[in-house]
Amino acid sequence: MATTTLEPRAGTYQRSWVLDWLTTVDHKKIGILYIVNSFLFFFAAGILALLIRSELAIPGIQFLDQNTYNQAFTMHGTIMLFLFIIPALSGFGNYIVPLQLGAPDMAFPRINALSFWLLPLGGLLIFSGYLFGGAAAEGWTGYAPLTNRSEGVGTDLWIIGLALVGTASILGAVNFIATIFKMRAPGMTLFRMPIFVWTMLVTAVLILLATPVLAAGLIALFIDRNYGGSFFDPSVGGNPVLWQHIFWFFGHPEVYIVILPAMGVVSEILPVFSRKPLFGYRAFVFATIAIGLLSFSVWAHHMFTTGSVLLPFFSFMTALIAIPTGIKMFNWLATLWRGKLILATPMLFALGFLSMFLIGGISGVMLASPPIDFHVQDTYFVVAHLHYVFFGGSVFGVFAAMYYWFPKMTGRKLNEPLGKIHFWMHFIGFNLAFFPMHQLGLDGMPRRISDYSPDAGWTLLNMVSTVGAFLVAASIIPFLINVIATFINGEPAGDNPWEGNTLEWATTSPPPAYNFDRLPPIHSERPLFFLTHGHGHAAVRPEDLEETAEDDVERRDGAV
Amino acid sequence: MPTALLGMLLFIASEVMFFSGLFATYFNARATTPGAWGPPEGAHELELVLAGTLTAILLASSFTMQFGVWAVRRGDTGKLKMWTGITLALGVLFLLGQIYDYSQLGFGIADGVFGTTFYTLTGFHGAHVFGGTVGLTIILARAMRGQFSARNHVAVEAVSMYWHFVDVVWIAVFSTIYLLR
Amino acid sequence: MQPTVASSRLRKILRAGAPMFLIGLLAGCLLPPEPKTEVGKDVFNLYIVVLVLAGIVFVAVEGFIVYAIVRYRRKPGDDTLPEQHHGNTKVEIIWTLIPTVIVFILFGFSMATLSEIEARSENPGVVVQVDGFQWDWTFRYEDGPVIEPRGNEPPVLAVPVGEPVRLVLNSLDVNHAFYVPQFLIKRDLIDLGENGPDNELEFTITEAGTYAGQCAEFCGEAHADMKFVVEAMEREAFDEYMAALASGETPPPTGGGECSTTIEIKANNTQFDIGEFKVPADTDFCIAFENQEAVPHNVAIYDGGEAIFTGEFVNEPGSITYNVPALPAGEFRFICDAHPAMVGDVTVTE
Repeated sequence: MATTTLEPRAGTYQRSWVLDWLTTVDHKKIGILYIVNSFLFFFAAGILALLIRSELAIPGIQFLDQNTYNQAFTMHGTIMLFLFIIPALSGFGNYIVPLQLGAPDMAFPRINALSFWLLPLGGLLIFSGYLFGGAAAEGWTGYAPLTNRSEGVGTDLWIIGLALVGTASILGAVNFIATIFKMRAPGMTLFRMPIFVWTMLVTAVLILLATPVLAAGLIALFIDRNYGGSFFDPSVGGNPVLWQHIFWFFGHPEVYIVILPAMGVVSEILPVFSRKPLFGYRAFVFATIAIGLLSFSVWAHHMFTTGSVLLPFFSFMTALIAIPTGIKMFNWLATLWRGKLILATPMLFALGFLSMFLIGGISGVMLASPPIDFHVQDTYFVVAHLHYVFFGGSVFGVFAAMYYWFPKMTGRKLNEPLGKIHFWMHFIGFNLAFFPMHQLGLDGMPRRISDYSPDAGWTLLNMVSTVGAFLVAASIIPFLINVIATFINGEPAGDNPWEGNTLEWATTSPPPAYNFDRLPPIHSERPLFFLTHGHGHAAVRPEDLEETAEDDVERRDGAV
Repeated sequence: MPTALLGMLLFIASEVMFFSGLFATYFNARATTPGAWGPPEGAHELELVLAGTLTAILLASSFTMQFGVWAVRRGDTGKLKMWTGITLALGVLFLLGQIYDYSQLGFGIADGVFGTTFYTLTGFHGAHVFGGTVGLTIILARAMRGQFSARNHVAVEAVSMYWHFVDVVWIAVFSTIYLLR
Repeated sequence: MQPTVASSRLRKILRAGAPMFLIGLLAGCLLPPEPKTEVGKDVFNLYIVVLVLAGIVFVAVEGFIVYAIVRYRRKPGDDTLPEQHHGNTKVEIIWTLIPTVIVFILFGFSMATLSEIEARSENPGVVVQVDGFQWDWTFRYEDGPVIEPRGNEPPVLAVPVGEPVRLVLNSLDVNHAFYVPQFLIKRDLIDLGENGPDNELEFTITEAGTYAGQCAEFCGEAHADMKFVVEAMEREAFDEYMAALASGETPPPTGGGECSTTIEIKANNTQFDIGEFKVPADTDFCIAFENQEAVPHNVAIYDGGEAIFTGEFVNEPGSITYNVPALPAGEFRFICDAHPAMVGDVTVTE
């Protein structure tokens, strides 16, 4: 099981570590670059959030004029989605997927590096609007014709930056799909892949098919703004609703792109920390695929109030997605059932994900109903919903992944007590910040407003929400202390500190450059289980011991 | 299937979706714009003969590309170079023809919805043809340096796949804009 | 041993559940405002059905999570594995079918409600074209009168109560949305040029009153300021109002809009904190009323024995702003309708 660490050096010349990291094509280093970069953007967008919440805590303009406020929420949304969450989860995917497949790297290492470096470039371009007269200020959804007509280059920089980030995503998706289909270790059939790999696969397919549509829309918008195009501007014959269709055709799969990897992370953690397998692995895989397919059929539920949408169809398809999502939830619960739960920090964040995503899912089902949506669309109810699924869901997933895989990536375990402090501050702060928003939305507080009337009765809940937001921000402190201190002087983790059963735990922490000295035999989705618990264990099924046809035939570069 | 070829196939899938987005704008505009759908007043009607000729050129270039692929699969690198060169020439001819067409049209991208969607769809297709000619140039250069053999020519397969894709998209563009109107 | 373990588990469950309960309480019971339109009532009823179902799912799932954390926590020192269940097809089918059934039921209710609220009447009581633009509103009545934006104050859309109000939603520039929270409905204003018709919104207001509305589709810099007021009144009053508009007179005071004068009155220990106040004549003004005790109080203004203004009751500690329509010059009294001893003088001067 344990492998010796070899430290091969390429050649005999010294390389500065700066140059090494700048030019690396190693998926592990690239994964870490993704994660570090995404956290930097997380902090930037988080500060924007604190500015927003500070302004909204009480009625009256405090310190952000309207235009600055509008830039703040636009940048907050754009950066959080495109430069934090997706890259962070991609970073974990980059690091972990080849390891979980028993592969030495991704299929296209140099394209992998390109995908990463496009991100800080795109992100800086988007932010550079602040230097050139103002960043984009039309909301992360950039509705036409408002975006057609906004003055200044902020919106153009937003378009170009996003196009670069989108390109990076698409190239990354190509890489993930090729890696998953072509580089699995011998014996690893598709249905023996870890569930995280499955979610990354479906996510990659969604990215591949949805992001180009955004690219088309962004290009069309750029043409409208700069070359006199007539795509979306009604004053020259264009159609504003067309923008919404194109944007949301991408936008809806986008939100599943954001959540599926986090679901994969949770599906890795829950079994390990319950000490039983994921209940219903196959059902889970099919549910994930179903969610991926359905995600392309629901986009217009963001457009119910436009009057231009076939309401019954989109309402029905949206409600349908609740079914595979529910299946996943029940499978997670069944994994916990009769387990032996270890409540370490990764598990706390995973359980937090279940609770918070449940709430987000429930509010989503409410929004799927056009009559209810007519009342709460474009209010804080939607803001509550999206934060419960993005933040309560995906960000909890990112932190769960951090605590779970940090030992593998660095060889050191993060401090447990600090982790628990982080979790509880984060959990309580998050709910304080966002739960009241459900009520604010039901009371009719629209979103994207820089101020509100003192007579509206929204003041108290806004104040509570702001307190919660600052608590969440404060929770980053124990996290950062933990990360830094552990880097300096952390407890060594060993190869498999959590008794995980997937292949990343079958090599050293951190793995050598080529990942594995030797691979254990792979007969199930939990290859390490046998090594830990022996073939004679009652839980080993007969089918796990049978060799399949693929076990003999598999070559690294063989048939798809 | 070699990994690099799978990569090209996946990339082509994303490009198909990109063009789907552009086609969606075209069809939406066509369906919702009142009045006759076509070039604005005073501009030339679309030249079917010229566009038809361009179609024939691109179609032929797909055939020549495939002949090149079959040649290298047999190990005939001489024919590979010839057919790749012809394909490249046809591709460049297509681009020149497209530019000539643009110069004759009498309306631009800023001349109403039809102008915008017409130039965006054909323009991005042209850009992809250009990308394809870059790829063809690279494999031609590599072929001339003797880098390809019957067992080792993934780049040729990948570029040919991309080139066929570009041709298929043109058939769709041509049918939609010129035939369907 | 048993009672201690169980009660300590119970305490753990309560400790975990309490914060969530508090937050729920804090959140104000998760209900929309009391609907003031017919369509709003339908939406409210649908919402209750969905909320109840959601509540059941929430309690069941969250309850199980909390239960699992408590019940299945690994005991220290226990290194054995639990039984390794991989799955159960029958169970999978059951928990696929049940959500499917629930989804279909919810969808059915949803569609039924949708067709009710999208119904159009043959005879709307009034038809108004709503022009939305950056960042104000103009209301153009089908019969002629036009309400122009007023700059600092939200424009007033007067409509008859109890009759269908049909709005034609016309954007003059970017996307906007017409939204009155108490109506429980909104609709976008989108300029489609010649490519399509304007959206229409129709509702019947059930209770006379002043309703605040604002744009609910981000429309640029001053989106937050793009407000309006709907004034619903009895048909007679509405006709008078429209006549006044048509003839160019200042329409009768509506009580909506910003306050040019605000009188602050507090109530505590069954007393007002002021004994008198003065306001200018023929001018709308506001009373910022704060009830500081959990005893119902209001402020009403009487001319002799006749109530010329009755403010809403505040039943627990809280504040409310009354918009009082202009009073003619003279001497009046203000009173709490529940406590006749709570009384003071109102002097209205030219």
